Amino acid sequence: MTNTAAIHQLLDETVRRERGWLISSLVARLGPAQVDLAQDVAQDAIEKALSTWPYKGIPDNPRAWLRRVAGNAAIDRIRRSARELGLEDDWQLTAPDQDIITPSLQDPELDLMVLCCDPQLAPQDQLILALKTVCGFTAAETGALLFITDDALSQRLARAKRHLRNNSEELARYPTRFALKDRLSLILRIIYLLFSWGYLPRRGNNLIREDLCREAIRLSEGLMARMTETVPGHHALHALMLFQSARAPARFGETGDLITLEHQDRGLWHQEVMGDAFAQLGAAQSSAVLTRYHFEAGIASIHARAANWNETDWVSISRLYELLSAQAPSPAITINWAVALMMHGQLDRADALLTEINHGNNVQAMTGWHLARHRLAEARGDTASAKATLECARTCMNSDPVADHIDGLLEPLTDSA
Amino acid sequence: MPKFVLMLPHARDRYENLPEAEFMDLMKDYIGWVEEMSANGKYVGGEKLLADSGKVVTNKSGSIEVHDGPFAETAEILGGFMVIDAGDYDEAVNIARSHPHMKHNETIIIRQTDPAADD
Repeated sequence: MTNTAAIHQLLDETVRRERGWLISSLVARLGPAQVDLAQDVAQDAIEKALSTWPYKGIPDNPRAWLRRVAGNAAIDRIRRSARELGLEDDWQLTAPDQDIITPSLQDPELDLMVLCCDPQLAPQDQLILALKTVCGFTAAETGALLFITDDALSQRLARAKRHLRNNSEELARYPTRFALKDRLSLILRIIYLLFSWGYLPRRGNNLIREDLCREAIRLSEGLMARMTETVPGHHALHALMLFQSARAPARFGETGDLITLEHQDRGLWHQEVMGDAFAQLGAAQSSAVLTRYHFEAGIASIHARAANWNETDWVSISRLYELLSAQAPSPAITINWAVALMMHGQLDRADALLTEINHGNNVQAMTGWHLARHRLAEARGDTASAKATLECARTCMNSDPVADHIDGLLEPLTDSA
Repeated sequence: MPKFVLMLPHARDRYENLPEAEFMDLMKDYIGWVEEMSANGKYVGGEKLLADSGKVVTNKSGSIEVHDGPFAETAEILGGFMVIDAGDYDEAVNIARSHPHMKHNETIIIRQTDPAADD
């Protein structure tokens, strides 16, 4: 990794971690009604950092810098509107023993996550609130993650924040420790989305946002350590994230180009992490209920065991995708299911699945859908469609390495035409 | 070693309404450059300037008068300046070529400081 890449990574990690910490800490200190203020103050601090560090360089302790600047901004803002916020004149950001929210998880981010996952909100609203506040996602990222439009997103976010404001006192008194078990399945979903976004970002020149993947695993471990009994799916989700992380070293070529699972050097997979993943999958077997994470971790484990792409147990993988699709239908899952079917010769069935999801879903905007149709066209020897599908894939929102990968596939087709 | 001041002007609205992710990508380039220059021992220091009107203090009429500066009105503003070490103008220009400001904006103005002023 070059020095510049290391600096970019440090900035990404610092900004995201600190945004989550700042917002969570401020909400813990000011109460759930002040999510907007907490976000504004954290945002201002990050903007100050990004506009002055180009001249001053990164401070020795960037986290402490951001906390100090955001803390001062918060005190400033609060002094000006102490009466409206119902706070004392001499309010300070420090002194955690005075937190308004009953602290019970010893981690402001987990506390805020539990608070966001309030069952009185629609599940989608809980997700949006958590992704926007705790995980530090932008509105555009959140919308793309959940396949919803900007307008729908802002409506849901406004509704969720209104709920927090209107029920501020009651929510603040509610100890997050007791709520954790009931809310864990949604919290797992948030962690899953955080990890997924890190694993395949749609924008910029980093193929994998390792900071997001690590953060998701950290949160999952933190939760596991705080739970006296496990909840169905938690071990399976943890296994899934470890399987994916173990494969990460093989996903880049030397020039940062994308290498799909099909062409990866499996010798580069991180064996120790793989071992941990299998251990987590073993622990997941005792669960009374099979969750979507069980199926997904199962699929990942079959890939982990296979010697190469062609000698993979595609029949089992298709079956697991079918089960997964029945439990958690989504265009992305159908696309992967169709690819698995193609791998054991079920081209017509794959075609039918891909055609079916073209109705009522915005699959035209999904790179994966076009690439699956490309694979189908190749399998059928249909060169004209193969080229057309790649050209469609190129118009989707892709990270630079994914775009390069598609260009690489397009090049030979363009030459021969 | 001689010192050179790099002045970095940009259009007033350059960073307005820029999506945060894009702003972050731009600034990462700048921060990465400054870190690299510092690691090479070439970076002396720098300051970001606020985009306010500034002040002009003048003694033209015989007594000191203070006016608001014109800088809030101009289409182009001086975003800030950086001081670097370089052997001569050629090296300073080469350093400026590698500056992310040349990728994301248009102009860098280079002035050498008078070495006689350095002790």
